[in-house]
Amino acid sequence: MRRPKVIPEMYPTPSCSPIRRGDPLRSVDDMQITTTDLGLVARVTHLSKQFGEGPGAVRALDDISIGIRRGEFTAIMGPSGSGKSTMMHVMAGLDSPTSGEVWIGDTEISRMRDAELTLIRRRRVGFVFQSFNLVPTLDVRGNILLPFELDGRRPTADESVWIEHLTQSLGLTSRITHRPHELSGGQQQRVAIARALATRPDLVFADEPTGSLDSRTGREVLALLATAARDYDQSIAMVTHDPIAASHADRILFLADGRIVDDRGATAAEDISRIMLGMEAAA
Amino acid sequence: MSIRALSSHPRDHVATIVVAALSSAFGVVMLEASGIIATAVGTDEVVSGSTTVRLVLSVVTSVFTLIAVYVGAIVTANTFATIIAGRTRQIALLRLIGAQAGRLRRAVATEGLLVGVMGAIVGLVIGAAIAAAAIASGTSAGWLPSADYVVMEPLILLPVAVVAVTTWASAWVGSRAVTTVTPLAAVGAAVDARLESARRGVARNIAAITLAGAGFALLALGVVIGLSTPIGLLVSFFGGVLSFTGIVLGAHLVMPPVLRLVGRAFGPRPAARLAAENAVRFPERSSRATIGLVIGVTLVTMFAVAMASYRAMILSSIDDPTMARAVDQSLTVTTAIFAGLVGFSAIIAAVGMINNLSLSVLQRTRELGLLRALGFTSRQVRGMILTESAQMTVAAVLLGLVLGVFYGWAAAQSILGSLTHGIIAPALPWPIIAIVVIGGAALSLAASVAPSRRATTVSPVVALTVQ
Repeated sequence: MRRPKVIPEMYPTPSCSPIRRGDPLRSVDDMQITTTDLGLVARVTHLSKQFGEGPGAVRALDDISIGIRRGEFTAIMGPSGSGKSTMMHVMAGLDSPTSGEVWIGDTEISRMRDAELTLIRRRRVGFVFQSFNLVPTLDVRGNILLPFELDGRRPTADESVWIEHLTQSLGLTSRITHRPHELSGGQQQRVAIARALATRPDLVFADEPTGSLDSRTGREVLALLATAARDYDQSIAMVTHDPIAASHADRILFLADGRIVDDRGATAAEDISRIMLGMEAAA
Repeated sequence: MSIRALSSHPRDHVATIVVAALSSAFGVVMLEASGIIATAVGTDEVVSGSTTVRLVLSVVTSVFTLIAVYVGAIVTANTFATIIAGRTRQIALLRLIGAQAGRLRRAVATEGLLVGVMGAIVGLVIGAAIAAAAIASGTSAGWLPSADYVVMEPLILLPVAVVAVTTWASAWVGSRAVTTVTPLAAVGAAVDARLESARRGVARNIAAITLAGAGFALLALGVVIGLSTPIGLLVSFFGGVLSFTGIVLGAHLVMPPVLRLVGRAFGPRPAARLAAENAVRFPERSSRATIGLVIGVTLVTMFAVAMASYRAMILSSIDDPTMARAVDQSLTVTTAIFAGLVGFSAIIAAVGMINNLSLSVLQRTRELGLLRALGFTSRQVRGMILTESAQMTVAAVLLGLVLGVFYGWAAAQSILGSLTHGIIAPALPWPIIAIVVIGGAALSLAASVAPSRRATTVSPVVALTVQ
């Protein structure tokens, strides 16, 4: 639910910022350059999210302050109900916070209205969901180009080369005219990754991207995400409860009861499992 | 295995009840009207033999009722097919725990019978009320002679029974897909389930093409015979019935190309392109959703064009201006009444189209959530649904107008060709064409209001977590 609060328009989006005209640097949007200064691509400060009112209310996120580092593959882990999905939804502009601030790059999105948030999602964020990622009536090419079409433009020459490179390296070239129902689960997921990377967004959110795949296909998808972060400097935030999936990440944030309880670098799956079990025991 | 196990959303059956009520009310009003007219005529000393009048009127009005019931049956079969598509998982789950497909299908058909009876009775009450009100106001205002009018006669139960049974049969036809659901669908991932495959009996395609071919040949023959004698109309009549039956039977061959063509005309914007794809995503479903409207528009236009051609010829042969005005007036009134009676089926078809769009949007909640997540604005979503609605209406109205003008011209040519000694151009009844077009535009808007409201209020987060 979007809060009906009316706030003056002081948060320029890339589409309307007068400063941006002719300026190749997206980061110099306004005076607030802290996020970029910190080497972050997104951050939240004192973020809380509550569902419902009164005694039945659930506090899904409890005063979280954290940043996602640019060019890194970050995993957000936690048991069911820990708030990891809610955190992703709020950070991606799919849901609004109850309190606190949310930044994508140097744009504060926490008080944006639906139409502005839609543009942020379209231009600056990419998504890979667990399943049902693709529009069934569009073929592979149509799905990959959808973010550009929504923006009412064709990919530039530079972007076309990039998309061509993506489809080739993801092994989709021979499938380019297939519809989603003609693809395997792993292929569908690769199309979703191609679409998410195509616009070179600030941040790609992946929500349990391997949840519906067999373990071999799942590993391939994870390797692709890790490669995208390493080779293309693409920032990725992945929500998962699978220790093996998280072991592919450069950094792992652990959530429990709506709080960040641990923050570490790349960790082996065995150690992640141990931490998770410890969290379960402590709960 | 009970109906309760397959318990559905009450909203599923609103359209079926409305369609059954409309058809049954129409049938009741038609019968009541012929009864009232016969009774009124019976009081007149000059015209005697009200039983004959009654019989003739009943036969004529039955034709209109049957057209309405037929269109209603198509709508209901489609509604049930759409409902079944939405219940795939539920059916699969029941199959998984051992329910027999045949029994499930019978349960669905029984559901159809129940709502059919409900709707038909509602229609009976409405129809009888209209008749009673007409008698009361007619006798008090003086445009009906006072006589013993019977509102509740046993005969009016006939349309009620016909509608109930037709709804039952349509539910059975529409629930065919129940038997194709595999238990595995209950555990499978939620990729767009292709319940309705486009290929459907080769026999049906052959029958449709043969009927249409033979029909058009007969029509051509009728027109040729018509050049020397009005008997040509008889040949043309059968040609028209056969060819139109062929078109309706082969709707799944005719409608998708028309829908695609119209869809392309809406341009390359993403909302329009997705809408165009959505409209032909289940060719069988959209064919049935639109063919009812095609039937309605074709019949209205055909009557209007035939009457206008007839009128043009008659008027050109009358020299006396007063006489011409009187004839003109009576022909205009006749055309309006006939067009209205035939056009009732278009209203039933419209209900079906509105329902089809609502249900299909409801079943696409996840997809709409995905589009919103990827950056579709709520405006674009609204635009997409309106375009989808407009595409279906435009396709149906356009095809209906073309067919209607053609059949109307063929009828006029067959009966008048021998008098004019040549090929006449069809006279186009612009007022009625305008009403059809405006009605179509209103329908596009009306059909998209509820679904687009639902589609834009759903939050992407909720939509994406729906299983």
